[in-house]
Amino acid sequence: MKGILHILEHDFRSFFRYKWWLVGLISMNLADLFIMAIVYNYMISSEVKITSYFDFFAPGLAVTGLFASAFMIGREINMERRREVHHYMLSLPMTRLELAIGRVLSGGLRGMLYMSPLLLTCFIFLGFPTVWQLLLILAVLFLLATGISGLSIAIAVSTSSLEKFITARGLVYYTLFFCSSVFYPLSLIQQLGSEGKFPAPLVTLAEINPLSNASDMIRSFLMPDYTSFSLISIVNVFIFSVVFTLGAAFAYMKIIERT
Amino acid sequence: MNKLLLVVERDIRLFFQYKFLIIIRAIWFVSQIALFGLIASRMVYVQGIDYFRYYVAGLSVMTLYSAAVFIGFDIYEEAEHGVFEYLLSLPVSRRQLVLGRSIGGGLRSFIYVGPLIALSLYVIGSLNPLGFLIALFALFLFSFGVSGMSITIAVMIKSSDRFDILMGVLDALIVRLSTAMYPLAVVQAANPLYGGVASFNPVTFATDLFRWGAGVTLLDNPLLPLLGIVAFFSLFTLVGVILYEQHIEGGGWQ
Repeated sequence: MKGILHILEHDFRSFFRYKWWLVGLISMNLADLFIMAIVYNYMISSEVKITSYFDFFAPGLAVTGLFASAFMIGREINMERRREVHHYMLSLPMTRLELAIGRVLSGGLRGMLYMSPLLLTCFIFLGFPTVWQLLLILAVLFLLATGISGLSIAIAVSTSSLEKFITARGLVYYTLFFCSSVFYPLSLIQQLGSEGKFPAPLVTLAEINPLSNASDMIRSFLMPDYTSFSLISIVNVFIFSVVFTLGAAFAYMKIIERT
Repeated sequence: MNKLLLVVERDIRLFFQYKFLIIIRAIWFVSQIALFGLIASRMVYVQGIDYFRYYVAGLSVMTLYSAAVFIGFDIYEEAEHGVFEYLLSLPVSRRQLVLGRSIGGGLRSFIYVGPLIALSLYVIGSLNPLGFLIALFALFLFSFGVSGMSITIAVMIKSSDRFDILMGVLDALIVRLSTAMYPLAVVQAANPLYGGVASFNPVTFATDLFRWGAGVTLLDNPLLPLLGIVAFFSLFTLVGVILYEQHIEGGGWQ
């Protein structure tokens, strides 16, 4: 347990070294919300069940911010592997499992920390949820963040160069972002799918995508007229988190010892 | 002249070494069209505009902008690895070096975006031949201007961290406060301040001309955005050359 805490401290210190990068990322996120979403408000079709795109997008933005920041741990681990810092990590007086769990957890917690101001902005404009709803939102977002952290670690340890990692990351980013309800309602993707204009596997991906599930869960509490709460969305996020947390921990333990 | 061409050639070769970056940008471009563009066009309604075609045209200019900005990151890479000193030792005058870099930065981004523009024209499905030639010329100048801007900022700041954040913020603002994603009338209706900035934004000039050339939208007077692009190109190419010349020696890179 103490080993995990040391890893958390190490990774949080590294996170704050990227302060310029974080400021850049947060300004881009805020520009998306306070410029793009405000302008889109004036273009929303009356056929879509959204009264304000700003309100619709704010929860999605918190989830995208969480995704981008939780994914950062993968880049660091990939760099450690290339510069052979992982030999030093393996020499530390802690078990392999503590090391692996510590890395996955720290990636998730860093994502939560980064996402907090974006979620607060969302609450300020859309209204605050009840205490139980807030706890549920935080729990689901934490599960999502650890799952994303696990996914990025799994990619980081499976790719030998930064370029390959960046390419794989790009593919995952764009597929998960654009095939989700972060930017647009899920019903539009389903509608395009039923018209045969969007591939069925991508429609299914959008439906089970943890980014869609987490965004829609926040919307169900803050915008009850838009969508209703669904337990299945929490189950989807839970499965995603368990699969990638355990998968990444296992891959991290096995692959860094091999190289 | 021959030496200038060598500098241009070097920068073009350097860019095509970043194979993965090129692939990633191409994936981003295609996913923006096939996923975001397609779905968002169902969500949006603007009278008299097919939003899908409108968005695809804007996307080409956004990609050109981000490719042209990349020259600034190359300059930091060279400063970090000590290649700067090597470049200064070459039998090329400072002015040729600077001008070559600006031209190389613009040209390579244009070569890269060429196939993507062809793809977007195929998706858009229309063309105004004379207008398109004028738009293409404007995009050339635009990419040189953006490269000059990137070089100017890089040599003024001399800190890769600050450059990284400033370009990120600038990218967020310059693209979103333009007509790359939405018509000017909508931006003005949303917020007059946003509309004011968008009216004088070089990205607006470039996208408006490209959409006009691609037959997506009409333009009352194409000369005005063209003059805007020429002014942007002249300012940053000239300023970039002068500043690069002044700051190239003496180190101080962080």
